[in-house]
Amino acid sequence: MNLLRATLLLVALAMAGPLAYAGEDELTHKIPPGYQPDEAKDEKGLWHEFEEMERSLNKSALLVRDPDIVTYMNEIVCRVAAAYCNDFRVYIVRNSNFNASMAATGMMEIWTGLILRAGSTDEIAAVVGHEIAHYTRLHSLERFRGIKKKLAAGSFFDIAVTLATGYSTPLGQLTAIMSALAFSREQETEADILGARITANAGYDPHATYRVWDRILAEEEAAAVKREDHGMFAKTHPASEDRARYLKSWVEARYGPPDQEQVADEKLLSILNSHYMMLMEDQLATNRFGRTRELLERHSEIGVEPSLVRYFYGEMFRQRGEEGDAELAVAAYRHSIEGGKPPPEAYKQLGYLLLKSRDTAAAQDSFRTYLEVNPEASDRAMIEFYLEE
Amino acid sequence: MTTIKNIFLICTLFLLSGCIPTYTLVTAGVNSVDTLQVTAGGGWNQAPNMPYAGDRKNTVKWTRDGLLLDRLVFVPEVSDGESLIISQQKDAALPVFKKDMLPNEIEELAQSTFVKLFGEGNAVVETSNLRPHRYGENRGVMFDVEAKVTESPDYKGLVGAFIANEKLYFMFYLAADPYYFEKHRVQAENIIKSATLTPAS
Repeated sequence: MNLLRATLLLVALAMAGPLAYAGEDELTHKIPPGYQPDEAKDEKGLWHEFEEMERSLNKSALLVRDPDIVTYMNEIVCRVAAAYCNDFRVYIVRNSNFNASMAATGMMEIWTGLILRAGSTDEIAAVVGHEIAHYTRLHSLERFRGIKKKLAAGSFFDIAVTLATGYSTPLGQLTAIMSALAFSREQETEADILGARITANAGYDPHATYRVWDRILAEEEAAAVKREDHGMFAKTHPASEDRARYLKSWVEARYGPPDQEQVADEKLLSILNSHYMMLMEDQLATNRFGRTRELLERHSEIGVEPSLVRYFYGEMFRQRGEEGDAELAVAAYRHSIEGGKPPPEAYKQLGYLLLKSRDTAAAQDSFRTYLEVNPEASDRAMIEFYLEE
Repeated sequence: MTTIKNIFLICTLFLLSGCIPTYTLVTAGVNSVDTLQVTAGGGWNQAPNMPYAGDRKNTVKWTRDGLLLDRLVFVPEVSDGESLIISQQKDAALPVFKKDMLPNEIEELAQSTFVKLFGEGNAVVETSNLRPHRYGENRGVMFDVEAKVTESPDYKGLVGAFIANEKLYFMFYLAADPYYFEKHRVQAENIIKSATLTPAS
């Protein structure tokens, strides 16, 4: 990856994630719908690079192409974007972390971790609104130009180091990029406020803008292993606490207090229920059980299919493996099965746990049921091995 | 930033040591790999151990066309509470081996470890076809792996593992797909299947 590409990637990362505050009344869109870059060389160049990135993203094996999810997301984006709807191409990427990003060209990337963490469609719309505000305020271009200036200074430093030591390093240029990104919080604040406004104008609940951050804070609080380094995001974005606070204050001042506690809508529930196995398996594979438990509590509250949520409680307890977790996992799998819509794996994992507790007969019963409800199981040979023992 | 710090650290180490990784040819026939014995055909090269890239001290890596294209990795003697790879990041949340693990749990240990190996969020790893396999006197398992990775070719692989004396012996073949995985699959699978504990002398 060349330095320019790396810079663009960092610009896109810096545009990632929602929300913050400034002179709100002056905040307007800087470009009209259907905007195309002018002939200025740097903006054209920026667009070409993002277009190349988009071609690459289009081929990514991690792209979610499921029509339900794609349609759901496109509808949200189009409704929030209003007249700008045709400016955007939405790419949903299979990544269990929380993020969304926007390029200058209108390429919007949304990670599946956002769907997993949203308490409502309004919260997804709030994140989308923030990203659209980045686009209409030309933040990528501003950032790119800022980085270019600092890169020039960094290059002089690198040349000096090379002449003095004989070693060539990109230290100055990398430092310049980091330094430039650190000054982007003002843009984030702008995108927060303008985003909240356009989200509300589209008929979504503006209170969702700070609820998103409340959820992120709750998840961080619940994490067994705290993030040691928040990386680029922390350098370029206001802290979650600050965002939640100023957005709440701004939204309540403008729109009044929330009418009622947010309840998840049928569309989001339908997406979660249909794709829960994929979304939660990706989350489980991160081995971050405190966070996973927090998400499960949330999903239970908003009404995701109980048999699925209970199954993943079982998975979380079983894989965490702390004192007493095996018993909690057995109870959760049984609860999932009692719920009437367990995934076939609930029988298998229950079987393995019973095997561990030396209840071989019950384990074999559970394994048999697993093979009955999932005759195509790819691990049939392993299960049959235990049935024949 | 941690990633960038690590890159600088690696570059600095190379600069200071003048170290260029050296590969050695693996001889065809029975080979000792730490406390394991495997039977290999010709054409494999042993790569240097790279702790800064996540290798445990006794991890052994073989390749035919280069580590980015194909790798056959042996991770012997993993004790209870230890992870299969090493990370400098304190918040990596690496999964660890537990001595009472059953086949499904070894499969999950592998899946989560591969996710961490490729970079959390950069890859989706799926396992399938969990099946029993006997490694000498020890009962163990084999299963298949598929990884979709950001800005990278897909990878496919095979894992073999068994527990002996409360320690895990873990082996995997991972190669770019298409082409490289199939190119060396049979040889790699035969090597993994041939693994046994080195008899005590």
